[in-house]
Amino acid sequence: MLQKYEWFWKGFLNSYSQIFFSDNKGFAAILIPVTFIDLFAGLFGMLSVLFTNSAARLIGYDPMKIRNGYYGFNSLLVGLGLGIYYEPGIVLLILLAIAAILTLFISVTLEGVIGKYYLPHLSLPFVFALWMLMLSSREFYALTLNERGIYTLNDLYIIGGHSLVVLYEWWNQLDIPSVFRTYFLSLGAILFQFSVLSGMLIALGLLIYSRIAFTLSFLGFFAAWCFYNIIGADLTEVGYSYVGFNYILTAIAIGGFFIIPNVWSYFWVLLVVPMVSIVTISLGSILNVFQLPVYALPFNMVVLIFLYVLKFRISNRSGLHTLFVQRNSPERNLYSWLNYRERFTGRAETPVRLPFLGEWIVRQGHNGPYTHKNDWRHAWDFEMVDENGKTYRKKGDFPEDYYCFNKPVTAPADGIVEEIIDDIEDNIIGKRNLGHNWGNTVIIKHSDDFYSKLSHLKKHSVKVRRGDRIRHGDPLGLCGNSGNSPYPHLHFQLQSTPYVGSKTRFHPVSNYYCNRDGSRKLVETGIPEKDDLVSNIQANPSLKKSFQLVPGRIMEFEVEGTAKSHARWEVKIDNYMNQYVECAETGSKAYFESGPAMVHFVHFEGDRTSLLYYYYMAAYKTTFGFESGLQLTDSFPLNLVFNPNKMFLQDLAAPFYRYLEAAYELNYPKRNKHIPPVELELDGTIQKKVWTRVSEKWKFQFKLDGKGLREFHFNGRDVQIKAKCV
Amino acid sequence: MPSKFGLQVRHDPITEIDGVPVTSLLSRFGSPLFIYSEKTIRHTFREAFRAFSSRYPNVLFSWSYKTNYLNAICKVFHQEGSWAEVVSGFEYKKALANGVKGDQIIFNGPDKSKADLQLAVKNGSLIHIDHFDELYELIEVAKESNAKPNVAIRINMDAGIYPAWDRFGFNYENGEAWDALNRIMHCENLELAGLHTHIGTYIMSTEPYRIAATKLAELAIGLERKYHHHIRYIDMGGGFASKNTLKGGYYPGSDTTPSFEDYAEAIVSALMKADFHPDHQPLLILETGRALIDDAGYLAGTVIATKRLADGQRASILDAGVNLLFTSFWYDHDIRPAVPVSDQTEETAIFGPLCMNIDVIRKSTVFPLLKKGDPFVIRRVGAYNNTQWLQFITLRPNVVLIDKGSQVHVIRSEETLETLNDLENTPEHLRVH
Repeated sequence: MLQKYEWFWKGFLNSYSQIFFSDNKGFAAILIPVTFIDLFAGLFGMLSVLFTNSAARLIGYDPMKIRNGYYGFNSLLVGLGLGIYYEPGIVLLILLAIAAILTLFISVTLEGVIGKYYLPHLSLPFVFALWMLMLSSREFYALTLNERGIYTLNDLYIIGGHSLVVLYEWWNQLDIPSVFRTYFLSLGAILFQFSVLSGMLIALGLLIYSRIAFTLSFLGFFAAWCFYNIIGADLTEVGYSYVGFNYILTAIAIGGFFIIPNVWSYFWVLLVVPMVSIVTISLGSILNVFQLPVYALPFNMVVLIFLYVLKFRISNRSGLHTLFVQRNSPERNLYSWLNYRERFTGRAETPVRLPFLGEWIVRQGHNGPYTHKNDWRHAWDFEMVDENGKTYRKKGDFPEDYYCFNKPVTAPADGIVEEIIDDIEDNIIGKRNLGHNWGNTVIIKHSDDFYSKLSHLKKHSVKVRRGDRIRHGDPLGLCGNSGNSPYPHLHFQLQSTPYVGSKTRFHPVSNYYCNRDGSRKLVETGIPEKDDLVSNIQANPSLKKSFQLVPGRIMEFEVEGTAKSHARWEVKIDNYMNQYVECAETGSKAYFESGPAMVHFVHFEGDRTSLLYYYYMAAYKTTFGFESGLQLTDSFPLNLVFNPNKMFLQDLAAPFYRYLEAAYELNYPKRNKHIPPVELELDGTIQKKVWTRVSEKWKFQFKLDGKGLREFHFNGRDVQIKAKCV
Repeated sequence: MPSKFGLQVRHDPITEIDGVPVTSLLSRFGSPLFIYSEKTIRHTFREAFRAFSSRYPNVLFSWSYKTNYLNAICKVFHQEGSWAEVVSGFEYKKALANGVKGDQIIFNGPDKSKADLQLAVKNGSLIHIDHFDELYELIEVAKESNAKPNVAIRINMDAGIYPAWDRFGFNYENGEAWDALNRIMHCENLELAGLHTHIGTYIMSTEPYRIAATKLAELAIGLERKYHHHIRYIDMGGGFASKNTLKGGYYPGSDTTPSFEDYAEAIVSALMKADFHPDHQPLLILETGRALIDDAGYLAGTVIATKRLADGQRASILDAGVNLLFTSFWYDHDIRPAVPVSDQTEETAIFGPLCMNIDVIRKSTVFPLLKKGDPFVIRRVGAYNNTQWLQFITLRPNVVLIDKGSQVHVIRSEETLETLNDLENTPEHLRVH
């Protein structure tokens, strides 16, 4: 029930916190009372949000966006403005309803117009809508201007009696330096509240929401203050205080919200804030003609320009990283981005596998000494060797003596056979056929600009035909010795064009074992290098059945040790093709990414006492391949393992330095090969570290067999969970 | 290749094995002496494994204990990832004692006592049923112990070779195999995990393997259709020939024996052609013994005497005979001098030390003129000799293993009089004579 009307109540709360880019309910809980310091303004603001969100739902906009407050927050500001400027009454109520929907339309329009440049509409709809109303209402004779502003104390007296008035006055008369006073007034002005108390409450909310945003609000404001001093203006003057929030919002937006917070984003705040000052002052003098305030226009203009400008970069030397997923808080954005970068740098969009069975050696890698040069440098030559490093039996006088000769060559990824050559003689050992450089070849089309090529195949061994649709791992032909090949080997390259002589293209191989110095290591994505012994991960049926997450799959558990004794999960996929596991009871979601033989969890949102949360941590990285004694390690985004309320200092320092760490480890048991499917017990740990010292350790265990996952245990200081798959 | 005058006979001496001089081995460990090369075992194993694993996604070898169950030898194979394939209660216990886990032992053969079956069921071993009497007994054992053992049936068939080994397992062509499979599928106490065959021994052609694999795959697909039951493994047994020359063979075995690559190609191509769903592609198990170990074993010894026979033929008497070299009944063993000798050769009869007429290692072979005390080495004796050797007239000698670092380890000590006497009991009234 609660989930069904999420768009309503969450949308309501988020419309408040969204003003500061947040979805923090605690923040909303502070902002709502602040708006009610002016009773009618608060009321009209609230009505405006409810009008807008309900209208958006009725018209049929995305409930997700309504829930996040994307539409509501501009109307909220418009409602607050109207409530402040005009006397309450039926006329204002009618006007409010119309204004709310107008604001909604402007929001949606802007979403379409600038959304296609992947730019947010920020608070532009509010600025436009309120201007329209300000300009037009001069003709609305039924409306009367509010005079409460002058008599706030009267209002307060009516609400809370003498004591409230005293308290209010005490706060506002507090002896604080004028620059801080202006900072608080500027914050309050965002909600049309011109009082230190409101500003302080908002600052407190900001701190609860995000330490980074809070720091940035100061940084932005003081950067402006310094700039004003340099140019000889005084920011603490009353007129400027009304526009001070532009600097604060700009700083939060580019310092940490739309850009990953780091030393460079902080640095750019110092450069951009003065631009906002110039825009503010100049726009102010234009708009003065029409007797219009600038509101948040300078912030909107400069932030949008800045974000737009960044999109034209062709290399990232500025140290500014724009987001790929918005997690609605600078901290979450930072931790998740750092983690993503650490885990997935160099990862390929299309996973490509090794084109053979068994273990082969890279005889020539990228930028090889023989033929992999210039435009053809991103290629591999594979052969097979014995433990003495020899590639052949006997004397190696015949192609048949070579271990790799006659071995199946398989498709590296799904695709369509683009081109085959199959009638070139295999060379005798030592001879090259330079007339047909590539020899017998198969080219597979994986997408419009992505092809793979396998060359020097054995004559008449190609089993596929042009136009055949094939799946990765399907046999294509046999390794041979045709073309420019003095002894049998397999040439493998990826390319952007469909021709036999096409240039190579840099692209990594996904999910394979690499044996570089006697031990097999799992490589998630990488470039096999010369002399590496490489092999594909072969899926073990028990592991695959346990860990593979296919949309539609349902998992059910009987649980001991969590609040709910039953858990039901479903694997789903959303409109943006993100895949996730959703818990039916709590609505929690664990997002994951699937590779050819691996699954990585990437994000969790929802109830951190649910079984799904513990599963997210324990199954953070798994492989379907069984390798005796294999150990997988990884690291978590800090905020998803540490308690976000206990990271205050880390959050403050996070853009520059992280002293917390959350390490993942999963161990596959040591055992011989077994007939499939097998029973396995995997165990692992999650270690929270402070300055590399382990502060807390969780242990977990998976028990699985041919039917998939049977049991999952998770043990920590305060958690003892036993879950049985049913 | 031979010309019309036959093969040129060369007698390059084998003076050292893995860098250790044969003469020093003989002086340290006595003569005769079995010598194993760990390097060769591992090399051969990996070559075989590579031949299959580069063609088929999931391959397992299971070491055939009867071929050579010296513990050290078994353990080399286990270290390489092999399971144990045993054919008696004794071998079964030997494998357990070697640290092989119960569920990694394949129990083959026609002779499994009830106690053996009980033990195998308890340990979760794979039991390959040989006949209906065993099947019924196993059902009984499984019921009694309330377990559901993993079983397979051994299947014999016409794979185009003579003689067809129809005495082991259930016949494919006459429908007995299906009878057994139906019986198992309708039995709640047995889990049909795999299908097993072993088409024969020393198969010099790869085609029979292709036929056998095709027939097993047909059975497996038939089971999928009829019972929706997925076979988890196909065990192709062994029977790969080593490079020894069979008696009566015209060409030397090293030229005529198919390579692991050839066997692998035949078996795997048949399995890959079968209609297995990729998610249910069965594990391929191989139990090859002889081809994996023959090359790694040497028998070194000393010439006892030379003489002329009645017809003037030269004869050499060695200190190693058929008591140690059971395979000399099948092979024309390759005997080499262990020190450089003259190139001069002569048709020679080679006899063992036994005072028995049957002790002939080579009836007649072109051999250099060795004299009393000269050391010799017989190649490719790793398979079956250390399991089938006889304590007959003489005692069994030391067996050594040369490891990868050329260190020599005694892996089985020579027998002494006490070894045998300790087992004997003389009744009181016979003690004095």
